[in-house]
Amino acid sequence: MRLSNQSLQQYRRLWWFASRGLAAAALVLLITAILTAPSGLQNLFNGLAVGSVYAIFALGYTLIFSILRIINFTHGAIFTLGAYFTYFLTGASVGFNGLLANQRLPFGLPFPIAMIGGGLLAGLCGILIERVAFRPLRNKGADPLLTLVSSLGVAVAIVNVIQLLVGAEIYSYPRNPFGEMPAALNLGTFGGLSQRPVVIRTIQVIIFAVSMATVVLLTYFVNGTKIGKALRAVAEDATTSSLLGINTNFLISLTFFISGLIGGIAGTLVGLSVNVSGPYFGINFGLKGLAVIVLGGLGDIPGAVVGGLVIGVAEAFVPSEHVAYKEAIAFAVLFLVLLLRPQGLLGRAAVQKV
Amino acid sequence: MEGFLSTYGSAIVQMALAGVLALSLYLPLMAGQLSLASPGFYAVGGYVAALLSTRVFTGFPNGSYPILLIALEMVVAGGVSALFALIIGIPSLRLRGVYLALATIAFVEVLRVFALNQPWLGGAVGIYNIPQPFFSATRVEYLLLALPLLLVSTLFVARLERSRIGRAFVALREDELAASAMGIRPTYYKVLAFTIGAVLAGMTGALNAHILNTWNPRQGTFDLAILILAYVLVGGSRTFLGPVIGGAFLVALPEIILREVADAPGLHPAIATFLRDGRLILFGVLIAVSVFFFPYGLVTPNLFKRRRKTNVPRLEAAKAAPKVSRG
Repeated sequence: MRLSNQSLQQYRRLWWFASRGLAAAALVLLITAILTAPSGLQNLFNGLAVGSVYAIFALGYTLIFSILRIINFTHGAIFTLGAYFTYFLTGASVGFNGLLANQRLPFGLPFPIAMIGGGLLAGLCGILIERVAFRPLRNKGADPLLTLVSSLGVAVAIVNVIQLLVGAEIYSYPRNPFGEMPAALNLGTFGGLSQRPVVIRTIQVIIFAVSMATVVLLTYFVNGTKIGKALRAVAEDATTSSLLGINTNFLISLTFFISGLIGGIAGTLVGLSVNVSGPYFGINFGLKGLAVIVLGGLGDIPGAVVGGLVIGVAEAFVPSEHVAYKEAIAFAVLFLVLLLRPQGLLGRAAVQKV
Repeated sequence: MEGFLSTYGSAIVQMALAGVLALSLYLPLMAGQLSLASPGFYAVGGYVAALLSTRVFTGFPNGSYPILLIALEMVVAGGVSALFALIIGIPSLRLRGVYLALATIAFVEVLRVFALNQPWLGGAVGIYNIPQPFFSATRVEYLLLALPLLLVSTLFVARLERSRIGRAFVALREDELAASAMGIRPTYYKVLAFTIGAVLAGMTGALNAHILNTWNPRQGTFDLAILILAYVLVGGSRTFLGPVIGGAFLVALPEIILREVADAPGLHPAIATFLRDGRLILFGVLIAVSVFFFPYGLVTPNLFKRRRKTNVPRLEAAKAAPKVSRG
């Protein structure tokens, strides 16, 4: 029996309500579970701090993806570069290995300025990478997949340049980079809501604040300024916008700069929370960043933020006896989401063009 | 020659294996699917061989492990990989482009973390003391196994390209909608390409477990996935020879070519030192540069064709860039 058009529409409407209802119920259950779990609030805060870094790291991928429709494999390397730049701008010296052993800058900047400086330098590296690995291929009209390979080549080169210059050892930022502050805040039990007192490290608060400030600034830049409007126009259709007098190449360079800037800041923040664990520091993160952007839906700022926070919180809720499986959580979640919602959590289904 | 073989024996064997791994990624790509799952199947194959040779076929003194048993392990590893490929492939091949690439990477990562945490797979240390069939330090004898594997899989893919199935793959790559309108079942052929690729990767893993003597979770990772993708795209993704040559070339480049160049007489010592210590920097730069100068890869389908006078415009060159459906 053929479904009539009208009953098909009824089914659709029913499905719309049912699926939204189910999602809302699941969300309410999840929130209740989080709040009532023995260390639920603690895990939630830990997860939000980590997740916010995932989010801004993934924003770097998302910006470039939304404009060029390619994944920039050098982003993990930029993240590493940003962390190293910050380290050296604070005036700390290189370790014992590498060509630059025991060298140091003649000056030392206070940490917050060094962090921004590290981000800016990483952004400049982003522009350079765009010039070297992306623009030549784009001018040739090459397939985006080839750009992926050339960016991979540049990433391999950067990681090994770092190793050659400063060695593979672990670098740690100075203690108390923001002046004398208590190491952690005890938030108490939230009026008995949580069974154990909730303790948050100061670093976590800083990380979350810096990340969220970055997200807000970026959102304002893209949605609230004229140049952001031009950026969205290029993302929509590069050819048409260049015909309308928008300098496409300049905007692509700018995108790489911003992406490098926030990637570098993300690197510094992670280095602050643990340490800078060598030239391959950013590679694992790079992989997780990919999971984040796909989870949220490619090329979308809110998607990257939601994806980052979801993965951060999901990881924080892994019970300590299974902590070894934490690394796989992002990908297990990603795999499931892709099977259920191939367009990502916040993405819209792409219309099939014929 | 003798010295060359003893110095670079294992690199030469790895060149052959890289060719097979590249073919395993090339097959899904032939059907338009960018799958990065090969390292996962490679890892599965390695673990199958490592488990079989250390737990099941025991009792052979070191250096006298029968080659036939290795061949048997490779067959079993291929079968297990095929099973994994079916389980992973049928749900995930609905995805397209970047999404499929990421889903397959997710599979590789989940597998790696799983292996890392399983005591029966040896955890982070992995399975070691995998028995050897040969008494040698250079492992060049393994060419006896690696070369036939490379030759058989190359011939197989070469024949496949010219068969009905291969043409169905290419039709799917060029236009999935048109192909399905012509009666080609997209899911069937995509899963088929994915599974054949998985079998090749699994067999390579099984062989490499013996060559490396140890197998651990670091063997099949994301890094390897993008390296294999580089093999295919640098070599050329439009003909079976491309991945084989790309794999051999990119393994030889840092391990043999740049080392030999660094040892060349009359080179300024500073340059020689840079060539030795900065091998991987040059490797990365050369990958980026080669993509620019050879956008269709080193080997293109009309490289070996004689120029024929036809009045049909030659579309192949224009279309020779790899194309992956994305949506």
